[in-house]
Amino acid sequence: MDGHQQVPTFAVLPPPAHQQQAQQQQHYAMQAAPPPTPQPQPLQHKYSSTAWNLARKAHLDNRMLTTKTTDVETEDGRISNVEAAEKIKDAWMYKQIRARRDEFTHYRQAMLFIGSWNVNAKGKEESLDSWICADWGPNGEYAPDLVAVGFQEIVDLNAVNVAVDNKTQQRSQFWVERLMATLNSPHNTRNDPNRQYFLLQQKSMVGLLVCVFCKAPHKDRVRYINSTAVGVGVMGMLGNKGGVAVRVQFYDSTLCFLCTHLAAHRENVTGRNQDFANVFNKSLFEIGEEATREAIYSGSMSHWEIGATSVNVIDHDLIFWLGDLNYRIDESMPTDKVLEYAETGKFAEMRKLDQLNVERAHGRAFEGFEEGVIQFPPTYKYQPGTDGYDKRPEKKLRAPAWCDRILWMALEPAHVQQLTYNRSEQPNVSDHKAVYSTMKITIKDVVRPKRAAIHNELMKLLDRFENQTLPMVGLDRVNLDFGEIHYDRSKSMPIQITNTGNVVAKYRFVPKLDENTLCKPWIKVEPPYGLIIPGDQPATINVTITVDRHTAQLLNQGREVLDDILILRLENGRDYYITIKAAYARSCFGMSVDELVMYSDPIRNVPLDPIKRAEKYDPNPSNALCVPKELWRLIDAIFEKGLQEPDLFVDPGDPEDVKKIRECLDTGAPFGQYKTLSYAEALLEFFSSLSIPIVPPTLFPTLEIDSQNIQSSARRFLEELPPVHYNVLLYVISFFREALVYRERNRLTAAKLARICSNHMAPPSSGMDDSTAAQRRSGMQLIMVHLLETNSI
Amino acid sequence: MSSSSRVHHFKLVLLGDTAVGKSCLVVRFVRDEFFEFQEPTIGAAFLTQTVQLDDSTVKFEIWDTAGQERYRSLAPMYYRGAAAAIVVYDITNPDSFTGAKSWVKELQRRGDPNVVIALAGNKADLDSRRKVEFEEANAYAEENGILHLETSAKNANNVKSLFVEIAGKLPKNPPQQEREAFPLMPAQQESRSCC
Repeated sequence: MDGHQQVPTFAVLPPPAHQQQAQQQQHYAMQAAPPPTPQPQPLQHKYSSTAWNLARKAHLDNRMLTTKTTDVETEDGRISNVEAAEKIKDAWMYKQIRARRDEFTHYRQAMLFIGSWNVNAKGKEESLDSWICADWGPNGEYAPDLVAVGFQEIVDLNAVNVAVDNKTQQRSQFWVERLMATLNSPHNTRNDPNRQYFLLQQKSMVGLLVCVFCKAPHKDRVRYINSTAVGVGVMGMLGNKGGVAVRVQFYDSTLCFLCTHLAAHRENVTGRNQDFANVFNKSLFEIGEEATREAIYSGSMSHWEIGATSVNVIDHDLIFWLGDLNYRIDESMPTDKVLEYAETGKFAEMRKLDQLNVERAHGRAFEGFEEGVIQFPPTYKYQPGTDGYDKRPEKKLRAPAWCDRILWMALEPAHVQQLTYNRSEQPNVSDHKAVYSTMKITIKDVVRPKRAAIHNELMKLLDRFENQTLPMVGLDRVNLDFGEIHYDRSKSMPIQITNTGNVVAKYRFVPKLDENTLCKPWIKVEPPYGLIIPGDQPATINVTITVDRHTAQLLNQGREVLDDILILRLENGRDYYITIKAAYARSCFGMSVDELVMYSDPIRNVPLDPIKRAEKYDPNPSNALCVPKELWRLIDAIFEKGLQEPDLFVDPGDPEDVKKIRECLDTGAPFGQYKTLSYAEALLEFFSSLSIPIVPPTLFPTLEIDSQNIQSSARRFLEELPPVHYNVLLYVISFFREALVYRERNRLTAAKLARICSNHMAPPSSGMDDSTAAQRRSGMQLIMVHLLETNSI
Repeated sequence: MSSSSRVHHFKLVLLGDTAVGKSCLVVRFVRDEFFEFQEPTIGAAFLTQTVQLDDSTVKFEIWDTAGQERYRSLAPMYYRGAAAAIVVYDITNPDSFTGAKSWVKELQRRGDPNVVIALAGNKADLDSRRKVEFEEANAYAEENGILHLETSAKNANNVKSLFVEIAGKLPKNPPQQEREAFPLMPAQQESRSCC
């Protein structure tokens, strides 16, 4: 049983129909109590499941999916409601699970007894055995698993009782106790606790009472018991007419029992129809979300009702409607004729004119309900205490009628099989005879682990689709090794990105955690975001790296390395890492003169890694060069080419020349044929790139420079310059002085050169406020002019 | 069975050294497949998977991270805000167990204070090549108050249990706060004036 709970034994089912046939004739006779042996009756399947479904559908159409949260409109204008989406998903799951219910449901058969009696405010000690236990068999072997009994008029329907309802409770108690006494009589139980019945629930309203009992072995399988009462009498709300109802979940089937007393009087068919509709629609059971979920799960409630806390009558697997429905024989049949037919057993004629049958056939009431063919005499109106219709002259002569009825509606029509539908001759204290019916009902018993497995399977299916709709891309490479990268020479590598998924892929590069740039500043990604449609041609992302002056400085100082990881993120999807790697081909640009003078080898040969460098070079200051050899080579080259070049140091050189000159400086290779202006530009760029400027801003004059103090200021400035910087500056100044000799040709002036020196060798500091900085820089420029114009320093 | 079908969303991250089988575990759990030569994860793969418990539904949003050492610094991006973490090691590789311990330590220091950690000794099918004893790992897990299971993505052993056990340990009551990723209602800024 898959670890499933042990199922108690159900009532033994009665023998098959053919064994009972001999007694059938007797059954119709209007005599003593019919034999207590149940017998199957042909059911009137007039109302097909299609009709039933229509009835149910009408109830559910246009129901709005209700949520506790409101829809949210996101910034992109999308409207969403996670709760609604979740509910729709749940509904789908429930629907799928229900469609496969046979895989996890054991269908069990149970016996149900239903009785209904209008007691006419009577009732003392008369035995109920022949009614309640009518179908139990000689030794109680067919004793039902469930017993539902309804009463009408347990109190007089006088104005006081209707308004105050004060006797009802006491009379209800009386009837419940009598039923208990009957069900649990020593004769019936025979001291077997498993034969005991217990009350599940009782519900009363004025004259109405419904009570449901369950046999002991099933006690643990009854859940979510609830009841309700609907008054439709005086003013459409009082309880002189209306219904009381009890609902339970029995194993995994939901059952609803309604006991009603509908509008009286032969001509008032419309009133009865309306009363029925009102009770049907207004009966609401507040059973809580857990219970409704069970009902949805087990299929008696629409999967669209998720989140509901209450159920209606319609939301049950099996609905049983009993009571004094008050439908009579149509007035087209005169009263004496009805009496005659009733007394002689000519029921077929009467059934044709039975108002309930007529109304049902026309779909005006009890649509979707079923009723067995009535084969017993009308139950109303008897002279109390006798077995004869009330024909006393002082009373109004009433046409006998089948006021007291038992109907049902089943989600699965085959799940109810009526075995008996009859009336009881005893007790006869009321003006109504009691009716009863024994039914074999099919109930669901869910094997929960099996249902859970199906649930799981469905979730996996949904997850699979969800995962399949995640965006996916393919990258032709995720490791970009740029090899050697030179100063100020950009290098690009493309990445092909292909949409390999089923949905539009939106990608973007994102910063690492707690960072605010996509990557290191020497990397440029283009485009940094984009969109690719499935099936599109691959897109290209270009990754470009450039070692500029700033990066070179950091690299030379060991504060940066040329590697990084880019994170490419797909919107609503995964992340991809792209690894960037390059080796810096070292350049004298971006270094400091103090460092450069330490090496007579080309700088390319000097390892960046300090450990490797230390192995190769002994940093001995006494072996240091006077000025960096690269500076000497540049100045020497310009000198060789001649200082007469017009606009020397002012016009730009050829950028390609400049790159080649720089490469020669870094590798020690001899210069090729380059323009003088290119050398000049290389020289100025070299100065600009230095990680420590030749003239640090700290040495800018603090005093205002005038003709009085210029000499002393210049001297002090030179004294304060660090040694290598002093050498470099004097070397450059001497060279510029030489250049000024050719000022006629090269159009240079001391002021021009001083400005060039200041721009490239004395960059402004960032720390000072603008006006002070500008003033100090112009002082510096005046000193430069002074140095260029003075012959002796 | 499910008294409440409320789906609880949890972010789960897989951490561990390279080639211990993180992706294989996820693929086994989500798709019930196994590839002998699963490519290394370069990035962080994202998948979702729902687990049904007796009384609730847990939906994992799984981030399967890259195990290679060079990507280690990116891991906090994924374990930050994670409700659960599976730290995977390879029972045939003692270094990976050392690595797992350092991942656990990192999670305890820098992860969410309530993160549910499960230590998974993967490749349990290679028992003949075992280098990390079950008892040793189990003692470590007990000491640190974390789950411990030996799994095999190859033969599917204990893979589902691993996720189910984690799902069972995750807090479902009181209802978790709505996650940032799914804002249902604009956050209400309560302004209280005091005089």
